[in-house]
Amino acid sequence: MSFLNNNWWLLPLIVTAFTGILCPAMGTVLITHKRLLQVNLMSHCVLPGLALAMALGIHPSIGGVISGVLGALIAESLTSRKSENYEAVMNTILAGMLGFGVLLIPLLGIRIDLEAVLFGDLLTANFGDLLRNLIAFFMFTSLMVFGYEKIIYVGLDPEGASASGIQVNVLNIILSFTTALVIVSSMSAVGVILVIALLSTPTLLGVSKAPSLWVAMLKSSIYGLVISLLGFALSMIFNLSPGPAISVLCVISLVFLKDRK
Amino acid sequence: MATLIAENISYSYHTNQKLALNKVSLEINPGTMTALLGPNGAGKSTLLKILQGQSKPDKGYITIDGEELLKSSSKVALMPQRSSMNWKFPITVEKLVSLGQIEHSKSKNSSPFQLKALLANPKGWVNKCCELEAALQRVGISKLAKRRLDSLSGGQQQRALLAKTLMSPAKIFLLDEPCAALDPPAKEEFLRIARQLADTGSSVFISSHDWGSSLGNYDKVVVLDQRVIAKGTPASIREKLEDLNINSINGKSVCD
Repeated sequence: MSFLNNNWWLLPLIVTAFTGILCPAMGTVLITHKRLLQVNLMSHCVLPGLALAMALGIHPSIGGVISGVLGALIAESLTSRKSENYEAVMNTILAGMLGFGVLLIPLLGIRIDLEAVLFGDLLTANFGDLLRNLIAFFMFTSLMVFGYEKIIYVGLDPEGASASGIQVNVLNIILSFTTALVIVSSMSAVGVILVIALLSTPTLLGVSKAPSLWVAMLKSSIYGLVISLLGFALSMIFNLSPGPAISVLCVISLVFLKDRK
Repeated sequence: MATLIAENISYSYHTNQKLALNKVSLEINPGTMTALLGPNGAGKSTLLKILQGQSKPDKGYITIDGEELLKSSSKVALMPQRSSMNWKFPITVEKLVSLGQIEHSKSKNSSPFQLKALLANPKGWVNKCCELEAALQRVGISKLAKRRLDSLSGGQQQRALLAKTLMSPAKIFLLDEPCAALDPPAKEEFLRIARQLADTGSSVFISSHDWGSSLGNYDKVVVLDQRVIAKGTPASIREKLEDLNINSINGKSVCD
């Protein structure tokens, strides 16, 4: 413990590494299931939950996960992916929930460092952040171990998967819950908004030409780890904010994506 | 060998209550290849889903060898329409084909490395590998087994999807527009494989838009537009449609 106290940068570094591995792995599942817009929605929906949880004296992460999943469920009930209005409805709910969260902060009279929630404050990462990372990591790993074949089938042919007896709706809710856990656990590293970059960019690099989902997840996680550690190092050397630094590196890494068109 | 009989099938879409099928009756016999023809929106895909047991008809009943469909649904396999698949998914051809086993075994074992399955039942695991190889050989894509799905041509992708369907123990195969978007040689090759399947005693029921020369590949033709307009041999169907001077059904082109 004293070693960690003497090396204050070590805990943020471990949290960065976990986030860099976990977000792209989760992102690989979501991109191959064409659910990334839903992730964007969920990342914006956690704010009202954070505010309400703080007002009620509950841990903010619990509120964030609940409101993230609720936002996704509301969106799914209002529109279907086959609807031509799908993207418009999703974006409307996304903006509305973010606005609702911002309104709640003064209305409930609570103090939230909005900048830290949205864009991350990695250098203040503590054991609570590491614990949240570990919980999200455990949940994601369990999902992969027990539901890997089903996740492949649903991503490839949802109607066929449903016809073969797989509970597609239940699997989607579990995926939403795990996604919300990953988003909330990544808050300290890159913030709920910038987590989108880590969920999508390394995945775009990793999924290309991968022969299977787990190879794609592995490749994405390696790219994510490299980008995150590089962002962390740059922010330490040049005294930058780590979240935005990681996001900018994500954009730069797109240059290396050969088949981006 | 199995005979499927559908009697007076009616179905309305739950979302808008629009009638999709109106008193449709037909018979699918063993060892035959039947075409289900009709324009867009005729209810072809809906009928196939009902015949496979994915959807329940509002009225009418379906039997297989005299038994209710619900009790013998494993005898029917459906190859989905091309558009329902996510072809960009990172998966190899052999993995796609192996998913056909899930549909029927509903395996609880879903370890990515299949170690548990191998240890629990090594003989069954070897059999499954043989079945997979046999399905790939039947559609002529054994050499493509390790390739990623999105690196194949449209015709090869359709054959991979057929191989997945063949992994089931079914005797009746319903193929939903398998030749859509295929070029003529790929279409001919696909129909040749389907014919081989029928020649082994299976029933092959293929929905299609194609009223052209490929109609001669089938033993029977059923023309559908919410109800059965005509059924018979390809020659008799051509005559009927020519006698009626039909170029369109209910204002929808039959040749789209």
